[in-house]
Amino acid sequence: MKKLLKTKWFIVLAVSLLLIAGIILSFVPGSPLKAAVGLASNAVSPAQKGVKTTGNAFSNFWSALTDGIAIREENKALKEEIADLKYRLNQYEEAAIRYEELKGAFHIRDTFSNYDIYGATILSREADEWFSVIRINAGKNEGIVLEQGQSYPVVDVEMNLVGRVIETEGSTSKVLPLLHEGFSVAGKVNEVNGASVIISGDSVLKRSGLCRVKSFDKGVKLEPGTVIVTSGEGGLFPEGIPIGTISSVDYSSPSEVTATLRPFSSIGELEDVFVMIPFNADENKEGVPGTSETSGQGQGGNG
Amino acid sequence: MDRRKLIRKILVYAIYILLLSSLQVSYPYSFGFGGQIADFTFVFVVLTGYFYGFKDAAVVGLLMGLARDCLAPIAIIGIDGTLHVSAGIGMLVMFLAGAVGSSFFTKRMHRNIPFAFVSVAFTTLLYKISGHFLAYSWTFIAPAAGNYDLGVYEIVVRSCLLQTLLNLIATIPILLLLRFAGPVSINETRSTSDDVIMTSGDNSWLQI
Repeated sequence: MKKLLKTKWFIVLAVSLLLIAGIILSFVPGSPLKAAVGLASNAVSPAQKGVKTTGNAFSNFWSALTDGIAIREENKALKEEIADLKYRLNQYEEAAIRYEELKGAFHIRDTFSNYDIYGATILSREADEWFSVIRINAGKNEGIVLEQGQSYPVVDVEMNLVGRVIETEGSTSKVLPLLHEGFSVAGKVNEVNGASVIISGDSVLKRSGLCRVKSFDKGVKLEPGTVIVTSGEGGLFPEGIPIGTISSVDYSSPSEVTATLRPFSSIGELEDVFVMIPFNADENKEGVPGTSETSGQGQGGNG
Repeated sequence: MDRRKLIRKILVYAIYILLLSSLQVSYPYSFGFGGQIADFTFVFVVLTGYFYGFKDAAVVGLLMGLARDCLAPIAIIGIDGTLHVSAGIGMLVMFLAGAVGSSFFTKRMHRNIPFAFVSVAFTTLLYKISGHFLAYSWTFIAPAAGNYDLGVYEIVVRSCLLQTLLNLIATIPILLLLRFAGPVSINETRSTSDDVIMTSGDNSWLQI
């Protein structure tokens, strides 16, 4: 018996069963495994931030270096000065782009006056092709508190839909991106009395950066290039947030016409996002302080 | 194992776990092609198992998986139709990857470097096929999760083979790191003979 307990495959089986039990338990609010992961997250996050900052600095340095080489070939006599100036110029340009991006946040505030806008930076993205969510650097400490069944829209600087917050922690939140297989949002064609559609993530289309569009009324003709915005049905998302444009339409099955949609926002290129929190949710939040145990149970239904 | 070697091992593993898991989620699109992303963390765990045995792979796999669960958690639609952010799936995947990596092509192939690539390819394929099977099966258990209607071409070519190819490319830098800045000193690995590996099994590295 002792020999059996020490065999590798017995250990593999035992640990696997324990982990599977832990995974199942993690679906229950307040599970110990999730608490352990939360604690570990506090230790891992600073390292990840450090790696990201270093990577960005290296990337900036590398682009400055390559620009410097190009200039040096043009004018060897002035190479050092030019390289230095180019480096500085890159820095200033980046700062200017950043400024312009943040200016966009004010535009969002003007358009959706019933919402508080919280700016955040994307910390981590999907690790592989399956079901990963992204993390942003704003959480409960910044005032983003989720209650059971709540979820907040996340948009980019152009006010385009990026995803929705599904769980918050101390200084980070988890965002379900638009392309995720579990994402679903009610949309409509961006015109008066535009046809209603459901946009959802799809495991196949995700690889091409597309979403699936379905359930639109019979007789409605969608064409590539049609702009789709949120319809406001379901209550999670306000009406009028741009989602994307129709990329292709498949009429091969008359009973179930489907289309694909290319989102306006590209998560791969995003650095900053904005979380939209309605005023009434803020009031609830103030009424029920410290509702950490109930957060993180976003609905799987349509927004 | 003396104290100095043990400290080196722990430090090296800790650095690689933090570094690779952070890199994996910070710049995934830099290592991606055709919708797939080269998985450095996965490759590292498999190679740890292949070169240093089950015990190392189990610990590294669990910790790497924990880091994965922290930094890129998985959200799935549950049986109740509600979306849940899970914990532990990364740990399970990485632990099993380490166990598989430490079990195949090791003793018989004397843990040689060419078969490290075979081990990575084999484990990746096993992971992808299992993943597709589980994702497909889950749609029957949780109908609210929707359809998982990937075609054979999508699964075989665009998912399994492409991911395997990317992971094989990722194997090269990880191999170099393990070889020249790994948990065991390169001098020590040079002095380890084939006989030691055949008798002791785990925690050895064959010089070829």
